[in-house]
Amino acid sequence: MIDRRFIQNFNWSLLLLVILLITVGVINLYSASQTAGGGTPVYMKQIYIAATGFLILLVILFFDYHLLLSLAYPLFWISIILLISVFFLGRTVSGSQRWLPLGLFSFQPSELAKIALILSLAKYFSNNEGQGRYGFRDLYFPLGMALLPALLIMKQPDLGTALLLLLISISIFLFLGVAWRTLFISLGALVVSLPLFWFFLKDYQKKRVLIFLQPESDPLGAGYHILQSKIAVGSGGIWGKGFLKGTQGQLRFLPEKHTDFAFSILAEEWGFIGTFLVLTLFLLLVLWAMNVARQAKDRFGQVVALGVGAAFFWQSVINIGMVVGLVPVVGVPLPFISYGGSSIIISLIGIGLLLNIHMRRFVIQS
Amino acid sequence: MRTRIPLLEKKEPVDLQRQFLVTTVIILAIFFGLAGRLWFMQITKGAFFKKLSENNRVRVFDIPPSRGIIFDRQGIMLVNSRPSFNLYVIPDDVQDWGRLKEQLSRLLDLDPEQIEERLAQKRASPIYPIPIKLDITQDELGLIETYNYMMPGVYIEVSPQRNYPLGPVAPHVIGYLGEITPKQIKSGRYPENRMGDLIGQWGLEKEWQTELGGKKGGRFLEVDARGREIQVLGIRDSAAGNNLVTTLDWDLQRTAQEAIQGRPGAIVVLNPETGEVLAMTSSPAFDPSSFTRKITAKAWQALISDPLKPFQNRAIQGQYPPGSTYKMVTALAGLEEKVITPETTFYCNGSFPFGNRRFGCWSKGGHGAVSLHKAIVQSCDVYFYNVGLRLGVDRLARYATYFGLGNLTGISLTSEKSGLIPTSIWKFKRFKTPWHPGETLSLAIGQGYNLTTPLQMAVYTAALANGGKIYRPFLVKKMISPQGQGLKEFSPHQITSLPIKQENLQLIKKAMAGVVNEAGGTGGAARLWSIVAAGKTGTAQVVGLGKRGGRDHAWFVAFAPLEAPKLAVAVIVEHGGHGGAAAAPIARKIFQTFFHLLPKGAGTTSATSESTVQPPPEFPTEEVSGD
Repeated sequence: MIDRRFIQNFNWSLLLLVILLITVGVINLYSASQTAGGGTPVYMKQIYIAATGFLILLVILFFDYHLLLSLAYPLFWISIILLISVFFLGRTVSGSQRWLPLGLFSFQPSELAKIALILSLAKYFSNNEGQGRYGFRDLYFPLGMALLPALLIMKQPDLGTALLLLLISISIFLFLGVAWRTLFISLGALVVSLPLFWFFLKDYQKKRVLIFLQPESDPLGAGYHILQSKIAVGSGGIWGKGFLKGTQGQLRFLPEKHTDFAFSILAEEWGFIGTFLVLTLFLLLVLWAMNVARQAKDRFGQVVALGVGAAFFWQSVINIGMVVGLVPVVGVPLPFISYGGSSIIISLIGIGLLLNIHMRRFVIQS
Repeated sequence: MRTRIPLLEKKEPVDLQRQFLVTTVIILAIFFGLAGRLWFMQITKGAFFKKLSENNRVRVFDIPPSRGIIFDRQGIMLVNSRPSFNLYVIPDDVQDWGRLKEQLSRLLDLDPEQIEERLAQKRASPIYPIPIKLDITQDELGLIETYNYMMPGVYIEVSPQRNYPLGPVAPHVIGYLGEITPKQIKSGRYPENRMGDLIGQWGLEKEWQTELGGKKGGRFLEVDARGREIQVLGIRDSAAGNNLVTTLDWDLQRTAQEAIQGRPGAIVVLNPETGEVLAMTSSPAFDPSSFTRKITAKAWQALISDPLKPFQNRAIQGQYPPGSTYKMVTALAGLEEKVITPETTFYCNGSFPFGNRRFGCWSKGGHGAVSLHKAIVQSCDVYFYNVGLRLGVDRLARYATYFGLGNLTGISLTSEKSGLIPTSIWKFKRFKTPWHPGETLSLAIGQGYNLTTPLQMAVYTAALANGGKIYRPFLVKKMISPQGQGLKEFSPHQITSLPIKQENLQLIKKAMAGVVNEAGGTGGAARLWSIVAAGKTGTAQVVGLGKRGGRDHAWFVAFAPLEAPKLAVAVIVEHGGHGGAAAAPIARKIFQTFFHLLPKGAGTTSATSESTVQPPPEFPTEEVSGD
């Protein structure tokens, strides 16, 4: 199954990029876990999880990604069933049910939904290639495919991941081409339905959006977090305060410093040099994904690579934007940097798919 | 292998190479923007943020909201707020802990351990103020301000404090504020509140915490190394809590409180046509203003270990056998079940032989031939033994349950007790023994296992008065905004109608009027000169008499006027003896207040008004006694 050409075509630089990001992430988590309590420190856990993720990634490389054409829709429905079961079996953490307990660890079905949706969209668009731009009739089905898991995830409630699914889908639609008329009508409908959407938000979600628009309005609550995060990032200066020397993070001013706000620890301790480097790594990652998409030998591979690229793009932009106060706090982890089992595993599966598509770009399918 | 479905709208072709180019440009632009933002924050404004992060020179102060006012039904202020000064310590600004603790314990007269205990409950972040002493006195404030320069890290904040302009009014109903407990903080039900905040811990203050409490505001300040304000980074105004208009009537409430003062017991006054609670008092009471200042552990211990349980709201938590006030249930059940007619007569010679026991009537000499009317008016026990025997325990219990006895009334106060109306099934489940018919005899006169709360008895009396409608008693008429706009109105909620004939009910009401107004009636002490009141005395047997020098509990339930009743009253005086002597005069005072039957200028508690307005009963009340 593994051809010599596969190894020749293997994208070593992409793999290196990911290993770099994970290394930065673990080093940063080491600093973030200095003040944490007992138990296995989170950076160690992150190493175990990453190792598991690489194992899965390796397994993925052995199989031709076309196998996923027949698995895409079943996987999609499995993710939907898991998302529904979260409401009945899920573990509630700080007010939202996102985790399924699986013995030793718990698992976030919303992360699986991300991959399942990308694969299903890819399958749909490879079945419906077309020569031109897509109109309403072509987009009903994939839009429904995106909305179903997005609404379930919003109900958990996890606004960030729900929005992410929609952003990934819309990015794919726009890239593949949407008829101008369809685009304008949708835009109009979106503007009209925005106030409607507002009513479906939970109180705390509304509050977050309002606080984002006017952070001074809540200096004690979430506005406090944004401000503390901004102080942490800004006080890093050019060179940073040095590894383990961040005062904001170390003095426990920062909320969720392991997860959603891990980047602000990094920014405080490594300064602009550090943040610029990590930003560049993410940029390269996204551009590599685009390159994989461009060179993919068929539509399915192309759309999968696009979707994975879009996922990395939006997650890094939203998370970093959140930490620097440009985007409301919606709770999106920064891939490879934030602590979180499901996120790392799914991100590495995404990388596995990219590598898989890339190394099979010239091989004629038998 | 791959299927191709032709699609519509493919007139506009997509140039994928161009799409890649455009997308790459967009990606670059957005990342460039993020880099720019990081440049701006870390390099352009780096020095500013660096300064903020040193010792973390950001301070957060709460702006406490003013708490809603509680009014009586006429708009008289029962509870409002006054400013209080609270002393806080911000750990990050403290330079010498040892000295600070020593200074504070001297200036504030606090045990060093107490200060230690407070400081141990630090918040997640060392920049939040820790409350050390709430509501310090003017003298303490002066001292602190004088020595403040020597004690960096000490702050004074002003916050609204509960104030009781009329003294304690219905403290068991209105409740009190107390510092939020660590358990309450953990429960997540008070997301806005932090340690040191006062929240409603009992009564309406607790039930309406969210509405009364308002929304906390805060100031986010940049301070210098000595903790002095440099600039305001953010501010959120507090929002005042909403005001409550209760159903309580200040005049009636005060009358009730004064009438029972010094004796343990409870009084409930209802509007029989709505279920509004016009007055509810429990004695002995406590003074809610004593909790506004941080109460000392010793004083608190004394309050909660008081054998008379001043915190217990006897009106809803006290469970007593209803005694003879229950006889209307027995009489109605008898009439409805047709085991008696109004004319049915039983002969009372002072006792009733049953099995190998004799059940006595309170009147040792007997009442002679007794029909329904006379039985209620003179409270003849033998008559009701006979009726009870004919009914059996379960039919009797059914009628009691119709009146809501043995069930929660549903008033919106926590810890209401349900009382107990026994049935044969209940007894079998509880004791694994069958029902003994002799026990029915005790039940028929309201003794035995029967337990009711004063509020239940008031609801029951109101239902007798209003023609059989059971209302859920309620305490809040409406909620109004701090600006005075009506936000919510609460209307009466009728739970059921009694499945009984009005003519039977009329007979009972007439007999109850007889209790108060006829010669030989046991409730003559409640008689009014211009209005016909109706009532029933009761005496709840206390098992193991003599324990607390105790006599039986005295009950009186009443309504007035007989036609179109406006008030329903239930009074219990613990160990008061006979209902006619101890409880009926209290009901009369309440009627007098409500119907303005007091001579002009006479105080509500004036003993003289009692003897002048009230025609003396036919015979001394001591001899009339309940049963």
